[in-house]
Amino acid sequence: MYRYDEFDAALVRERIAEFSDQVDRRSSGELTEDEFKPLRLMNGVYLQLHAYMARVAVPYGVMNGRQMRQLAHVARTYDKGYGHFTTRTNIQFNWPALQDLPAILTDLAEVEMHAIQTSGNCIRNVTTDVFAGVAADEIEDPRPWCEIIRQWSTIHPEFSFLPRKFKIAVIGAAKDRAAIRTHDVGLQIVRGEDGQTAFRVFVGGGQGRLPHIAQEIASAVPGRSLLAYLTAILRAYNLLGRRDNIHKARIKILVAAIGIDAFRDEVERQFAILRQEDLRIPDEELARIQAYFTPPPFETVPAISPSYDAARRLNPEFARFTRSNLRDHKQAGYGAIIVSLKPIGGVPGDITAAQMEVVADLAEKFAFNEVRASYEQNLVLPHVRLDDAHAVWSRLREAGLATANADLATDIIACPGLDYCSLANARSIPVAQALSRQLADAALLEKLGPVRINISGCINACGHHHVGHIGVLGVDRKGEEYYQITVGGSPDEQAALGEIVGRSLPADEVAPAIARALDRYLEIRHDGELFIDTVRRLGADPFRTAIYELTDAAA
Amino acid sequence: MQLLEHAQNGVRLTVSTPEEDIRAAAAANDSLILEFEAFRDGRGFSLAAVLRGQGYRGSLIAAGKILPDQARHLRRCGFDAVELSPGADAAPWRRMDQVFSAAYQPASGDDRLVWRQRHAAPEDPATLAARLNAQWGDADAEDLLKAVLDPALARKAAAISSFGAEAAVLLHLISRVRPDLPVVFLETGQHFFQTLAYRRELTERLGLTDVREIKPGAAALSKADPRGDLWRSQPDTCCAVRKIQPLAQALTGFDTRITGRKRYQNSQRADLMPVEANEDVLTVNPLAKWSANQVEDWLLDHELPRHPLVEQGYPSIGCWPCTRAVAADEDARDGRWAGQDKTECGIHERMLVPAC
Repeated sequence: MYRYDEFDAALVRERIAEFSDQVDRRSSGELTEDEFKPLRLMNGVYLQLHAYMARVAVPYGVMNGRQMRQLAHVARTYDKGYGHFTTRTNIQFNWPALQDLPAILTDLAEVEMHAIQTSGNCIRNVTTDVFAGVAADEIEDPRPWCEIIRQWSTIHPEFSFLPRKFKIAVIGAAKDRAAIRTHDVGLQIVRGEDGQTAFRVFVGGGQGRLPHIAQEIASAVPGRSLLAYLTAILRAYNLLGRRDNIHKARIKILVAAIGIDAFRDEVERQFAILRQEDLRIPDEELARIQAYFTPPPFETVPAISPSYDAARRLNPEFARFTRSNLRDHKQAGYGAIIVSLKPIGGVPGDITAAQMEVVADLAEKFAFNEVRASYEQNLVLPHVRLDDAHAVWSRLREAGLATANADLATDIIACPGLDYCSLANARSIPVAQALSRQLADAALLEKLGPVRINISGCINACGHHHVGHIGVLGVDRKGEEYYQITVGGSPDEQAALGEIVGRSLPADEVAPAIARALDRYLEIRHDGELFIDTVRRLGADPFRTAIYELTDAAA
Repeated sequence: MQLLEHAQNGVRLTVSTPEEDIRAAAAANDSLILEFEAFRDGRGFSLAAVLRGQGYRGSLIAAGKILPDQARHLRRCGFDAVELSPGADAAPWRRMDQVFSAAYQPASGDDRLVWRQRHAAPEDPATLAARLNAQWGDADAEDLLKAVLDPALARKAAAISSFGAEAAVLLHLISRVRPDLPVVFLETGQHFFQTLAYRRELTERLGLTDVREIKPGAAALSKADPRGDLWRSQPDTCCAVRKIQPLAQALTGFDTRITGRKRYQNSQRADLMPVEANEDVLTVNPLAKWSANQVEDWLLDHELPRHPLVEQGYPSIGCWPCTRAVAADEDARDGRWAGQDKTECGIHERMLVPAC
């Protein structure tokens, strides 16, 4: 993984000095709260319902054991002993005191971490495929490009006061495991005509109250022109994006308003007048960064591990875990293990300091000192020898991190909701917990297969409910918390927005209604057909009927 | 970037003006004022970048609602100047403009770019010293210090301090720029006890985190000065054993040494340059051009603790056997090796030689 050199370290140090100066000027009244707000947001500091919240960047979701331990230290020292991983692969601390923030940032800087641009109207933490460098289907590891984009976008002089936030995701395979089409800009590595690295570029995706799936703006931008092309997109957006209405300020609204072709013309015009040679990544710099992401020193071992196979035969619980939470690795004899932050009845994405330390230990001992944070709010130990999988599972199980539900119905993505967030209309966490309990049966879960359920506490859609196979949106109906259900959304290469099935339901009816929809799926699916494929084949109707069955009967 | 205290005359357009109108205005004028209507409205940054990218060479002035925290954004996007609102304090503007020593991404401004610096061949020390003297020799000592410690230069730096009468000034500057900079203190074994107490007090007060106490080697000491009275007969040898040799060892691996020497201290130091180069080693004297009054004012203004012997008439303090108080009509360093030809212990001459 990438390591800071003296330049990176100095920049983070200077950023803390800058922020301290800003905090001082806010304290003395030199800066008004209105002026201070965007500055603190660009340092990851939010004001929530009950307290400040600090959002720490995990660039493209990659961490080492030492960093994970430091996050545990921050959770324990400055917070209530836990943290919350987000779909942007960042981690949030919900209870820090404002006066502790410089100390928190200093502690983070010690392990090459920061909170720069985790919020605010600027370019946010770039995300990628959690299986980068692991998956056999990738044509190139996207992480070096993520690091290049991270550096290029950090404290950008031109793009720090955009109309609205700006999110970029990069993948290296045709299979989209990073939801790039829900991003302001999605990048997919392809081979250019010359055989060199190029990028298929999508623009104008986004969720919130006016969700859009991103559209293709370019089919193969050469790697060396990537930063110039991104600059052209951002420049066009910065100049033309709406600033009169916060709900219409994202690039998706601009693209939808003028149309993808007109927007492409505008980007190409800006691209043509840019000084591209300045923005060309120097070859030696690309090589320097790529060198950090060479594969770890894998051992040459057989693809089959007798001890792993034996453990699976002897222990059905372990076998079930491997079926759901262990993914194939391109290196023979290795696998990637998904550490579930979705225990039955738990808070999706939450992790205690003690659990962080267990994961740090396991990463150091068994995964070449690497941990990844995933879009699904889980963690991944990316390179585990199959011989070691049982030992890893045992430790995870003791720590409550081995729920066998990765990508299954209880692997729920949820925002913090009204329990924490000042924007929310309704709580997300209790609904997620009730649903998780309702679907807790492991055999049922496995029978249902991959189903993505997403819950957002308000239309800002931090829980990505628009692109859940089943989405749940909290709404405020005359002061009561109600929930609207969508079916058929998808965040992947066949990205789609879910269809609202009907009127919203009170909190206690959500879990039973979704359970009925899933039962209906089991009745009507073809052999081996996934939930989302059944929805694509038959539409939302059968599920609508199931969801409202009992309530209609009662009415 | 220039900070302008008065409203400027010239073509004034708001940042909500369409790009093509701005470009037309730039083509017809050699000075443009772009007015920001809200500091959150970042269009002005892109407009400036477009104009500079298109080769506009005229002056570009930012005005209206902008924060000091946006100073470097303005500069790097191609603005030459900012029209401050009436009564605005210029200090935070200057401070915020210079917060970062380098930038990752190329922009219109002339910042040193990380991506280029990472792969650039390093300047040779003589050229570097000449450049630093030209660029920072007359600037604030703190700015010189920052420039020398800029990670872009990749120098391995350490400071040397006697924790004597005026040492607090340099150490104070270091604490503001880089409190974790290694500071070498030669514990000769013959210091006044007040110096040792002062070292502890000042270190703690300034929050210096890497003060290194360097002692003479026990073997060398027992051989050369078994009774601890070498200073009586051979003060030069005494300095060699207790200062010069231990220092050479302590500075091994450091190619940049920072001292608190000043021109006014004695005639040998009268031509001292802020930055000196010798082979691979830089010696940096941020206070070289300071006057005694400036030093005194700095100590007072920043309420820095004084060496306890100063008020007893010791303006320059070394080891106790070779230091005495001076009379009102004597020079500051007249109390060092008084009655001998010797005026310097020799560490600073030797320091110019690369450490082995």
